[in-house]
Amino acid sequence: MIRLFSAFALVGLGTFLFQIAGQHPEKAWQAYLVNFLLWSAVAQGGFLFSVVLHITKARWGKPLQSVAESFAAFFPLSFLLFLFLFLGKEHVFPWLNGDVHGRADWLNLPFLFGRDAAGLALLYGLGLAYLYNASRLKRSNPEASAGDTSLPQTRSVPDLKQLELYQKRTNVFAVLYIMAFAFVLTLVAFDLVMSMQPLWVSTLFGAYVFVKAFYIGLAALIILANLIYISRGSASGLTPSQFHDAGKLFFAFGLLWADFFYCQLLVIWYGNITEETSYIIQRTMISPWNTLAWTVFILSFVIPFLILLNKSVKTKPRFMIGLCSLVFVGIWLEHYLLLSPALNPNAHSIPISIADVLITLGFLALMAITLRFALARFPELIPVKQREVK
Amino acid sequence: MSSEKHVMALFEDDAQAASAIEGLAGYPWKLERVHSPIPSDNILHALKMKKSKVGWSTLAGGIIGFFSGIGLAIYTATEWNLIMSGKPVVALIPFLIVGFEFTILFAVFGNVVGLLLQTNLPEFKSLQNYDEKCSGEHFGLLASCAEGEETRLMAYLQEKGGEARLI
Repeated sequence: MIRLFSAFALVGLGTFLFQIAGQHPEKAWQAYLVNFLLWSAVAQGGFLFSVVLHITKARWGKPLQSVAESFAAFFPLSFLLFLFLFLGKEHVFPWLNGDVHGRADWLNLPFLFGRDAAGLALLYGLGLAYLYNASRLKRSNPEASAGDTSLPQTRSVPDLKQLELYQKRTNVFAVLYIMAFAFVLTLVAFDLVMSMQPLWVSTLFGAYVFVKAFYIGLAALIILANLIYISRGSASGLTPSQFHDAGKLFFAFGLLWADFFYCQLLVIWYGNITEETSYIIQRTMISPWNTLAWTVFILSFVIPFLILLNKSVKTKPRFMIGLCSLVFVGIWLEHYLLLSPALNPNAHSIPISIADVLITLGFLALMAITLRFALARFPELIPVKQREVK
Repeated sequence: MSSEKHVMALFEDDAQAASAIEGLAGYPWKLERVHSPIPSDNILHALKMKKSKVGWSTLAGGIIGFFSGIGLAIYTATEWNLIMSGKPVVALIPFLIVGFEFTILFAVFGNVVGLLLQTNLPEFKSLQNYDEKCSGEHFGLLASCAEGEETRLMAYLQEKGGEARLI
């Protein structure tokens, strides 16, 4: 399997380099930006699940929580991918050599890359600090790891002072990660997505993006947990009731994401200001983008909404993998829909090509390889069935 | 023709009641009713009841509500020509809010109506063979058997930990 993903990654890289050297390097950079945003959101949102469970002191999803922590493996890679984006600056920022309508203090390249790199470093740093302390807490707390034979115990008698310290640090970093998640994802959304059309502003856009990141993160988590469940069965400690609850959460955040879209649409519709409405009209009413907009709406909202009303489908592993993959495709297209009309203003047909698919496969392979690496290097992230406490 | 005899057994623990319910299936006696002061997963599981259909009436209520809400908004807007800031009289984007609110309202109505229909409520005649302790701290199990079998039935229920009496 790892060979297959390595081959995908190489094919993706090859396609990207081939396109850069060809006549349309802007297409390669556009696919790169779409995939960077999507897969980073998957890692950030998937990891958020663990943090949320920790803060709410939830006990129902402990095995899912450790699976969610494996998404942190993509953090360093995501940061490097962001820095690499600098090389494509000419192609991904259409405002670079144009009029930014008096926003030059905010929209200038050194400041943009500086603040976004600092923001991502902060977010990932807090995530890894949380992970470090949470795993220390688990290892030194015999109650938390009772029956878990895969977890190396650092000491037989827990040092209560040390435990308290880890607990305190985990709590602090968890809260800070959530705050940074909202703040940094808003910043990145404003800088890398909203800035494509500098005249268009929507204050809710940041919230829309970070809710979407959690939605897609949950989809990735459900896929990964179901794959583990399929290969290991009940020995994984994962139970249908946990998948049912995770499915409900996924359903709820799908609704919230669609709600945030609607909240923006309603305000823009009532306000009826040309700078704001043109962004929506171009994407939802004018050909060729309107077809894409309806596809996104159906794949990412209508289908999952109607299917997830049913209770039992949430506990069917293969079905949920299929459904979450469908949402993945929908959200990929949604990223494309937000960026592409600004980068291809004169397109007569949707400019998705086979190269976009291959580059996306490359990114998917990168995510799969990092997850595989994390699960192999830290086997405690793979859930195991707990011994029953008598 | 032999007449039926009824036996009421009171259990202090829902697990005991659930075990008695499960065991009854192996005998020719009939389980008439179970009274529980609280919702109990153990008892529900033992009764092996079919999945509730209340969800369907909730869904139907929600769908009716959505279209009623949109319909009401369209009706009021067209009846009184509520033209605001150059917007179309029938404007679906803001009407979705009315549709959404009515979805919730009618789904709740559908749920309550479905619940009443499924459980045959309200019931005006008082319940026969009911023990008030079942509204307090006991789980009651009412079973019936053919005449002559009642001693065996009572012995079975007592063996399961219940306090059985003939009614």
